[in-house]
Amino acid sequence: MPTAVSYLSAVQQTNARGRSRDNFSVPSTPALSLSPSITASSEDNAFSEDDENNCLVYPITPPTSEQIFTTVHTEFGHCANEAYRCVSKHDYTKPFEERTIEEPPYYVFFATHISLFILHLLGHMRDFFGKRFAKSYFAHLIPQNGCMTDCLCQPVTGVPGRTIVILDRHSIDNNYTQTYTGGKTRALNISSYNYLGFSQGGGCCSDAVKESIRRYGVSDCGTRLEGGSSELHVSAEALVARFVGTEDALISSMGFATNSTFIPALVGKGSLIISDELNHASICIGVRQSGAYIRIFKHNDMSSLESLLREVISQGQPKTHRAWKKVLVIVEGLYSMEGTVVNLPKIVELKQIYKFHLYIDEAHSIGALGPHGRGVTDYFNIPPSSIDVLMGTFTKSFGAAGGYIAGPKTLIDCLRLRGHSGPYAEAIAPPVLAQIVASMASIMGVVSAPRPTNSTFSLSPVGSIVTPRDKTKEPLGMVPASSLPTWMNLPPALADGSEARMRIRRLAFNSRYLHAGLKKLGFIIYGHSFSPIVPLLIFNPGKLPTFVRMMRSYSPPIVVVVVTYPATPFETARARFCPSASHTKEDIDIVLRACDEVGGILDLKHGSGERWGINTVCERAVELVHSVNV
Amino acid sequence: MDSSTSVALEPVLSFLAFSLSKLESGFYRIPGSAVVARYVKSSHQNDPGRTILELILVIFAIRTLLQSRTRTDRSGKHFIKFSEKEIDELVDEWVPEPLAQPLTEWEQRDLSSVPVISGPNGPKPKLLATGKIVTNLASFNFAGLAGNEKVKERALETLQKYGLGSCGPPGFYGTIDVHLDLEHDIAEFLGTEASILYSQGFSTISSVIPAFCKRGDIIVADRSVNFAIQKGILISRSTVRWFDHNDLKSLEDTLISVEKERKKRKGPLTRRFIITEGIFERDGEMVDLPKLVELKLKYKYRLILDESISFGTMGRTGRGLTELYNVPAEQIDMLVGSVANGLCSAGGFCAGSSIVVDHQRINGTSFVFSASMPALLATSGSEAIIFLRNNPSVLLNLQDNIRAIRAVLEKTEGITLLGHRASPIIHFCLRTQQQSLAVTQLTYDYEAEERILQDIVDDSIANGVLLTRAKHLRGQEMVESRPTIRIAATAALSRKEVEKAAGVVKASVTRILSKRR
Repeated sequence: MPTAVSYLSAVQQTNARGRSRDNFSVPSTPALSLSPSITASSEDNAFSEDDENNCLVYPITPPTSEQIFTTVHTEFGHCANEAYRCVSKHDYTKPFEERTIEEPPYYVFFATHISLFILHLLGHMRDFFGKRFAKSYFAHLIPQNGCMTDCLCQPVTGVPGRTIVILDRHSIDNNYTQTYTGGKTRALNISSYNYLGFSQGGGCCSDAVKESIRRYGVSDCGTRLEGGSSELHVSAEALVARFVGTEDALISSMGFATNSTFIPALVGKGSLIISDELNHASICIGVRQSGAYIRIFKHNDMSSLESLLREVISQGQPKTHRAWKKVLVIVEGLYSMEGTVVNLPKIVELKQIYKFHLYIDEAHSIGALGPHGRGVTDYFNIPPSSIDVLMGTFTKSFGAAGGYIAGPKTLIDCLRLRGHSGPYAEAIAPPVLAQIVASMASIMGVVSAPRPTNSTFSLSPVGSIVTPRDKTKEPLGMVPASSLPTWMNLPPALADGSEARMRIRRLAFNSRYLHAGLKKLGFIIYGHSFSPIVPLLIFNPGKLPTFVRMMRSYSPPIVVVVVTYPATPFETARARFCPSASHTKEDIDIVLRACDEVGGILDLKHGSGERWGINTVCERAVELVHSVNV
Repeated sequence: MDSSTSVALEPVLSFLAFSLSKLESGFYRIPGSAVVARYVKSSHQNDPGRTILELILVIFAIRTLLQSRTRTDRSGKHFIKFSEKEIDELVDEWVPEPLAQPLTEWEQRDLSSVPVISGPNGPKPKLLATGKIVTNLASFNFAGLAGNEKVKERALETLQKYGLGSCGPPGFYGTIDVHLDLEHDIAEFLGTEASILYSQGFSTISSVIPAFCKRGDIIVADRSVNFAIQKGILISRSTVRWFDHNDLKSLEDTLISVEKERKKRKGPLTRRFIITEGIFERDGEMVDLPKLVELKLKYKYRLILDESISFGTMGRTGRGLTELYNVPAEQIDMLVGSVANGLCSAGGFCAGSSIVVDHQRINGTSFVFSASMPALLATSGSEAIIFLRNNPSVLLNLQDNIRAIRAVLEKTEGITLLGHRASPIIHFCLRTQQQSLAVTQLTYDYEAEERILQDIVDDSIANGVLLTRAKHLRGQEMVESRPTIRIAATAALSRKEVEKAAGVVKASVTRILSKRR
């Protein structure tokens, strides 16, 4: 069995060999120059130095003349094979798996705890002796972990699409500081939250963004309530409401702040918040600011939630035993570290009985789950009106920034005035809004209805709902062209929604394939099989940096995210993959092959169940994705 | 009889003795068992009481370890035991309040009177409701950067190369080189070692404060700091001492009393911070920075200064109060500013030593857990800094315009101008008997005053000048302040236009107030 060190040096050698050879001949490029597809666009030549990784820049199988791709392969991969598609939809005939937890062998746990212990011991020793003998280093006492700075905050450049260009760096002082060599490496990007691949530099939504910059500039100069509201805000909010399927919606300029500044406006003293134990930090901050009581239930465990609900409602407020004013249950649609999907049917059932209010954070699930990309409600086919507050962000699936809150009109109006963001935080920038509107409209599809002559489209924030939706006339959730800004002309493939449908189905295929493939290779994988977050359990913290480096020095390089405490429990450190619609099946193959190789060396394959070889997995991908038990 | 039982029990006893010796030898074979045995022997000392005590301790330790970390009140003395049926009944009976109380008539009006701008925002935007072009005295466009062609060009270039979103938090491949460039630009502009970029101005300081101030630390803060600072202090769980608004004498008294208190209690030396604003968002007062720095050095505090309004507006080239007062920026430990206000882009920053900045890269919650800012907004910020460096005349225009506005409004009957005379935000409130901004009586009728101010705002919008009241969250702020109208001066308007606009405001004030008399 090769060791990690020998592996790293071997890969470096092959890479060097590859580079020297590629300078003489560039295979498969001449064929491409004739094809109509934009493969490596001329605008992309800023990174022309990196064309040694040909399978990243050029497709392995060159496109035929009838296949026309309008995307840059490095940003959004070319994939014409219709078999590599899947629909993300809940099957009600099967019981819902709340959380699949697979335990590793005991020796892994043992080793993990020992290495954590050594890490702590070393840390304390370093602090103890350092404070006495090397005062200059310890003037500040930063809780800094040398290994992790190498894996965290890796600066990148260019579009965070299918591939990403990382700035090479190295350290000569044991990772105290990092020096940039000036070189750049293009790597396969399986880490960015670019679920639907809308992060693109040219074409697609960016034309709309360009136009918006020319028209509106880059800033709204102020808060929403104090002279920073523009017509774009109003139409974008109406569009979000239509997309999510609620009466009204509001948009805030930062996803994190959407939770942390609007939750305090919902509940206060005398109310109770019941929160999942793995909720995101932004929710915790919002909850802490609200002044409400907080109780926590076990992650996605509905029986724990139910018994907690029975307890708190029957007991009432502590000491006084007065009835709670409100009980707000806050859950996430898709958990960012676990990849678990909330058991929404059960929660909605409980909501009927216990009459609590429900707040769902759809930061990761909106756009990524459901046959129409409308998030968990779409996935489970539950009407969005049965949920009180739907929150989400635009960072992930829409390739933009900021967040929204959607719900009934009275609620949203109240939040507009009483939430912290309205009077104090800057309004979201016009180019970001343009990206949101363009990507969202393309997922919905635009009906080019004739523009109504006397539109009832009231444009003050109060009347920001577009005329009541007439469900008989419009196909499901499509948006009439009149609700989009007049200057926004989407390309036909985007306007009719076909492109986005393809993206949603490609994402579903990719996530399911990666999930199932890794499982079949023998890894311990958490989460739901349709989740675009695929956590691969590594356990031992010592293996994390090694895993990152080995994946980075694989050919082609792959950038991965590793997370450990405080984002996860102490002992379950993990790598987290985020497949995207922009990846092709071949890209996922590459990731699987890399994991197979690296995982073998690092001893990560502890999963139970049937195991397949890597070649079998790649060959039988379609079968694997459509099989029932994944 | 006795002997027969003992005979019958003999094999049992011998078996017991055998297994005991087997156990003993097995026990001694375990490495380290001798130590345990020695410990038990020495602690026992022929006194069963001691052994029992030890046992209780061990059981207690095990129980503590096994106890769930999340505290439940189930075993508390206030817990009432109900039967399942009773719980069902209680659940049935319980009627929660609706999640949101419907807006009152006044709130409805407040919301519907929010101006919506059609097209680009700038010095002369078009209003959507009326289609009229108005002069903008409401939006933060201090240096006149809104709609700047160079900024737009740079943003378009960036879009081409980077796309729009960053698609990830800074830790996970969301740090784009343009972010590092802007951080470097800001640090160089201010003259600090480093700076760190947050993706929203408002969330910056409420994340910076809890990154440094922890439970047990001491914060000395101004009584009317802005809302973001209040939230940051709340999250930090530190001990807070407040000093009177913009009163450095009161600050010094507070610092002395904190020191006295510590000496009296003989407490350990904790981290101590002074938190205040450069120009107060709430009333436009300006802090006396040299004096503040002197106090901070004298009493050995760290200073967190919020320059959200003053960065990009004050000083010769917009470096803020440090430039205005000629205080080296390194003397301010954490200098927080807004890219959104000062540089007309989005986001905020915290500048300081590289140690301070690097600490936030791991501990700043809204830095770590939030997606980084879109690349084109970062480059717009960099471009804005270039603009400020190259056009110092812009801020002279701004000061001219501020003076012009104040000159007109000072002569207006019935209102009181607040704030420092150089402040780019100018608050005014209705002139009443009470002169101070803070409201002490509980029965104070904000709404009536807000209505009058809103009438003034509506009237002046109708006459072609966009104004806004300073919006506050009533009941959530720590100190309620008097309702004010806030004018934001801009360099993008000429002196004549500004004077005319201020004249319109004056006329509106006179008209509305005379109507009420």
